[in-house]
Amino acid sequence: MSSLDPQDEFFIGYLGVPPRLKRFLLGFIPILVLSVLAFAFILPPLHFDHFNLGKRTKVPEFEGLLVGEPSPHLLVPRTGEVGTASDFSLYLLSGTGKTSPKPKVLEHVNQWVKLKGTPFHRNHLTVIATKSAEPMEPPTPESAQPAESSSLGEFSLTGEIVDGKCYPGVMKPGRTKTHRSCAIRCLSGGVPPVFVVHNQVGDKLYFLLSDLDGKAVNDKVLDLVADPVQITGEVIQYADAFVLKADPATYKLL
Amino acid sequence: MGVAYKAVQWNRQKFVYDIILLSTVVFYLFCFEGISLQFSSDLDLKGIWIRAFGSAAFILLHVILSIGPLSRLSAKFLPLLYNRRHMGVTMFILALLHARDALAWYHDFGNLEPIVSLFVSNTHYADFVRFPFEALGGVALVILFLMAATSHDFWLTNLTAPVWKALHMGVYLAYGLLVGHVVLGALETNTHPFLTLAVGVGFVWIVGIHLMTSLREAQKDGAPLFGKPAKAQVDADGFVHVGSVQDIPENRAKIAVIAGERVAIFKYDGQISAISNVCQHQNGPLGEGKVVDGCITCPWHGYQYLPDSGISPPPFTEKIPTFNVKLQGDQILVSAKPNLPGTPVVPAVIGQV
Ligand code: HEM
Ligand code: HEM
Ligand code: FES
Repeated sequence: MSSLDPQDEFFIGYLGVPPRLKRFLLGFIPILVLSVLAFAFILPPLHFDHFNLGKRTKVPEFEGLLVGEPSPHLLVPRTGEVGTASDFSLYLLSGTGKTSPKPKVLEHVNQWVKLKGTPFHRNHLTVIATKSAEPMEPPTPESAQPAESSSLGEFSLTGEIVDGKCYPGVMKPGRTKTHRSCAIRCLSGGVPPVFVVHNQVGDKLYFLLSDLDGKAVNDKVLDLVADPVQITGEVIQYADAFVLKADPATYKLL
Repeated sequence: MGVAYKAVQWNRQKFVYDIILLSTVVFYLFCFEGISLQFSSDLDLKGIWIRAFGSAAFILLHVILSIGPLSRLSAKFLPLLYNRRHMGVTMFILALLHARDALAWYHDFGNLEPIVSLFVSNTHYADFVRFPFEALGGVALVILFLMAATSHDFWLTNLTAPVWKALHMGVYLAYGLLVGHVVLGALETNTHPFLTLAVGVGFVWIVGIHLMTSLREAQKDGAPLFGKPAKAQVDADGFVHVGSVQDIPENRAKIAVIAGERVAIFKYDGQISAISNVCQHQNGPLGEGKVVDGCITCPWHGYQYLPDSGISPPPFTEKIPTFNVKLQGDQILVSAKPNLPGTPVVPAVIGQV
């Protein structure tokens, strides 16, 4: 008969931890805990577009001309010396959810309005989550005219269709695969789509999308968001923005 | 056994276990948020928490899935297994918070019910790269929910251990779905190579230790990896040779496979007894247990059985099958047929012929 081995430790949960096992655990558990915690430090900086420049700003009220097409937007006269730049800034308009502005706002299309909402901007793209709009007198008779537009010619551009609300800062990232479903929800709810193009020197160019009749393309691009897409069409300079006019049926998924 | 209903009660070990578990999780979440805010104070916090919850749940799942095989490879890891169910439930709660926030943030405030939107927004179910990864997370969450909902010992007893165990193996399906969820979602957006590497290493680790463990178990059972195991030699009385008395340390057991079933053969107080290797509680391997205070004690949660009857000591009533044993010199022979659970058996006394 073999003798009892005093080193034959056996852990029974309700009785406590034998000494050699305890020594092992005192080494192992801190290592395990620290390795898990390390991920809390490593992961955040590796997230894509997590720290983009999109921001909520505090301006609560805007005055400008409300325009309905191709997507709802507000043309706000620029103050100060504008030089050769446009006299107007273009701000996209959404509702407060994944929606277009409310009918009560849109009934003032083609009128000057005092518009309340929360603006978000990323680089030079701004969207206002619109709460309400009151009609007002145009500031001067000549500024009652919509902004001029001029054709810059035909271009073939590669970029990503995003929703014009999340991308400017409501969500980070407001684009690519993880955001695809949300962007689909937004566009089908009437948030203006925006085509984001990176040019050769790394600048971002933003294009409003319009079909050949100048109407919104929302429901025709739901299948194309968050993927690389090539669009060939006429680029129009409009206020301080660009519109890309093409038949959505010709958009090419790359 | 001594602790049938103590097992669901609190004790110092469980208390320490849960404190470490919960403080690690809470610390992780706040570090994740704090580190994010170091880079930019203008972050959308909801998005941060979705990622903090999701990554915490996924990391914890790797720990949970490692404990089983690790504690088969070395008994040193058994204290981690002891309260694993709390780890499982914690993981489920993290996953639930992740899913709740993701659902609200990405799918609410739109023109569809969020839960409908989850499954119909991205419809590329036939496309690999564009696959709606959220649906994979959703199915995995349902599996985890079923496991968490049936986690109490009450269900274990009422569903019976094999059914419950089969349900529990769903965790591997859930793990596979979640690897898909992460690879086709977060990794397509966040293309940093470290993230891909981490998920890949995690997957290889989980598959690797499971393979290694099952190889080792098969080896210990003396079963070839492929094909039928060699039939044990059964003598005229229906007994099988399982080895020598010297193979077994005092108060410990040797596990032998007899007629396809694992049997634990214990040596204690100069005697030999054989009982089923499967603990009534959660199928713990009794043969890796020890005789303590005259009772075979399960290595997982400490359920106890009397070696000569397979019955838990009063007031407890668990019963497991016993096997008749006899000795020829120092050779141990075990009956190929189990007795009904709780059948008393006379132990073979070593040195007596
Ligand atoms: C209905 C169920 C689920 C939904 C709707 C869902 C949704 C999402 C979404 C939208 C993302 C991308 C988040 C982003 O980067 O902004 C994500 C990432 C993730 N999900 Fe889920 N998920 C679900 C279930 C789960 C479950 C059960 C787990 C379990 C572990 C999980 C683990 C993860 C992980 C680890 C990530 C990556 C987090 C990161 O980027 O750091 N998800 N999920
Ligand atoms: C909440 C109550 C739970 C209880 C009582 C419980 C209990 C158990 C038991 C007894 C086993 C051993 C089965 C065996 O390996 O033969 C086990 C294995 C396992 N459980 Fe749970 N569990 C619970 C919840 C969960 C949850 C929610 C998860 C999900 C993450 C989980 C993950 C696992 C895994 C991965 C195994 C591995 C199987 C193995 O090691 O071979 N458990 N659990
Ligand atoms: S005591 Fe829990 S499995 Fe044996």
